[in-house]
Amino acid sequence: MSSTLHTTVRRIAAPLTALVLAAALSSCGGDSGSSSTETKSVTLWMYPVIGDQAASDAYWQKVEKDFEAANSGIDLKLEMQPWANREEKVAAAFSGKKGPDVLLMIPDQIPQYVTNGSLEPVDDVVTPDKDKFLPAAIPGLTVEGKVYGAPIYHTVTSTMYNKTILTKAGITKPPETWDEIKAAAPKIKAAGFSTLDYSASPEASLNLNFYPLLWQAGGKVFADDGKSVAFNQAPGLAALTFLKSLWDEGGIPKSALSNGNTVADSPLGKGQVAMAFTSTPADAGTVAKTWGAANIEIGTPLTGQKQVGFGLPGGLVLNAASENKDAAKKFMSFMIQPPQLEALSKASGFYTPRTDVKAPAADATAAKFADALQYAFPGEPNPAARQVNSLLGVEIQAVLTGKKQPQQALDDAAKQANDLLSRQR
Amino acid sequence: MTDTLRQPASSLRRRGPRRRPWVGLLFVAPMLALFLVFRFLPVVGAFLLSLTDYRLSGRWTFVAVDNYTRLLQDDLFRQSLVVTLTYTVIFVPLTVLLSLGTAIMLQQVVWNRGFFRSVFFLPYVTSIVLAAVIWKWIYDAQDGLLNAVLGLVSVGPVDFLGQSGSVLASIAVTSAWKGFGYSMLILLAGLQAVPKSYLDAAMIDGAGSWQRFRYITLPQLRPVLFFVLVIETIGAFQVFDAMYVMTGGGPVRSSYSLVYLLYDSGFKYFDFGYASAIGLVLFLIVLIVSLVQRRLVGRDD
Repeated sequence: MSSTLHTTVRRIAAPLTALVLAAALSSCGGDSGSSSTETKSVTLWMYPVIGDQAASDAYWQKVEKDFEAANSGIDLKLEMQPWANREEKVAAAFSGKKGPDVLLMIPDQIPQYVTNGSLEPVDDVVTPDKDKFLPAAIPGLTVEGKVYGAPIYHTVTSTMYNKTILTKAGITKPPETWDEIKAAAPKIKAAGFSTLDYSASPEASLNLNFYPLLWQAGGKVFADDGKSVAFNQAPGLAALTFLKSLWDEGGIPKSALSNGNTVADSPLGKGQVAMAFTSTPADAGTVAKTWGAANIEIGTPLTGQKQVGFGLPGGLVLNAASENKDAAKKFMSFMIQPPQLEALSKASGFYTPRTDVKAPAADATAAKFADALQYAFPGEPNPAARQVNSLLGVEIQAVLTGKKQPQQALDDAAKQANDLLSRQR
Repeated sequence: MTDTLRQPASSLRRRGPRRRPWVGLLFVAPMLALFLVFRFLPVVGAFLLSLTDYRLSGRWTFVAVDNYTRLLQDDLFRQSLVVTLTYTVIFVPLTVLLSLGTAIMLQQVVWNRGFFRSVFFLPYVTSIVLAAVIWKWIYDAQDGLLNAVLGLVSVGPVDFLGQSGSVLASIAVTSAWKGFGYSMLILLAGLQAVPKSYLDAAMIDGAGSWQRFRYITLPQLRPVLFFVLVIETIGAFQVFDAMYVMTGGGPVRSSYSLVYLLYDSGFKYFDFGYASAIGLVLFLIVLIVSLVQRRLVGRDD
């Protein structure tokens, strides 16, 4: 019996020993690598901005090779991350004073990390090329006068129409303004369709739903100093009233209450809605499969008092806890140069943030979206943006479901938001 | 045969009983270590965290019980507690009855028993996110399957997920469909452990099938039923994913649960101290509810 036990122990112990040894060896290897030579390492967390896995690998491997060739002594470590659980991972990494040297962020993520002291300004990285970026690119990555992100791509949204539905409703000129939408809604309803796509789920970003309407009405989410909210003023009321009247007339699909910003299984994707006002090029690609490419028409962003769309830069930000800030900045400067941006745009389908780099428009749809870039507004970054998004989203639901009047709902949301903002200062 | 089985036991006894606790400990040690590291320590950590205002940067200040007093005054906390309790009241009986019913049914099945067992267990191993997406289609107010069926009898259309009156029940049905397989298997095992001789004796005494179930099967099943009840109640209190996917907590926060509030506080607003306090209060509530259930159902164990 004891010999059996012995064998069992050995059987279990052998792989364990191997594991421990391997771990020890690998950690040794890591140590000697960084201490014996003067190589500085820069770790990058990148996300699947390039949707196609093979294209993504090819692009980033080339970036690594080219950058290291041009900057001897810097070792670029690429860590591809999934979009899933991105917030949690980044938050956990920063709170533990760890995380990569450089990572990708979008405008609305940046302010809260700035408030927490997790990000380092990078004005010196973007200053040399400042005039060569799109109007929203650098302002979108700026917080309280300091630039925190180096823009590497730019997104855009615009209005997208389902031509089949418009034709069935007898509408020849696609509605481009609020008034034209109101006029078209009864005809579209009579033809058996909804007019405007909308996502009223509290999880949906208002940047793609209510805020563009608010901006089109000439309003703002936050006051200029960011210490109070402004959405409950006249433009906000106009925007919400427009939405509510359209909803009451059956111009917006009822499932909007629980729909997020995904097109595929939404009424829009299923061909039940005539138009959407914040569609992305990717959305156009998705609906091309269900409506047929010939039935898609891309317009410019909607006009209320003003013509405004939503579009924002994606930027590389620098971890304030990085031990190799200079090397990291070299990498950021490298990334915002035309060759890298042009190749990224080609591979990802996003637009370049630089005006002096024209990635060739793949087709007519892409060209139409490129026209909308000039109306792109990057949103209003604020450390409390997400809380405000949540609580305003809930009040908008209260209006749509008839529980509150528009002004009442906006005032209730404003009160909660202002309380929140005053607590944060 | 019996001799060979008994021998190792007696030889162990001869070596002295004092060594046995060590052997036992050795066997549970890996699990115990894992439990301490991945369960117990995080709870302690969460408790400590709940006494601080912990910032994303790692800076923190000690705030004593501030997070807890804030919780008591928070309307949203009260609201989400009511949502969670309502959901639990709908979900737990639904799931327990569903799993008990299916278990009893399965026990009667002789032909292809394994197949039927697997079929009912299948939803349990699917992802709740996928299940929620599909149920969202089923519930769709405009072109959902359920409304199409209701339309045949000229009812509706009902906006199941868009009304505060129906949203929690709709989500509970989805979660019950997804999760009842586990409890069903446990109850099935419990049913099979009920000695057949008791049932036979009762039958000879003239007990009908309901009487046999009520006076023999059910009392015998009690420990198992208690376990199922506790497990499902804990699961109900932790509800989040189905709500996140199906409604985003809406409409107007009618499906905004405690864990949803915890998630928003921690990972959307980075208010880690407050989120930890919510977690601990949830832990206390579940503990109290489980103790009450133990008194009511599981008193013999």
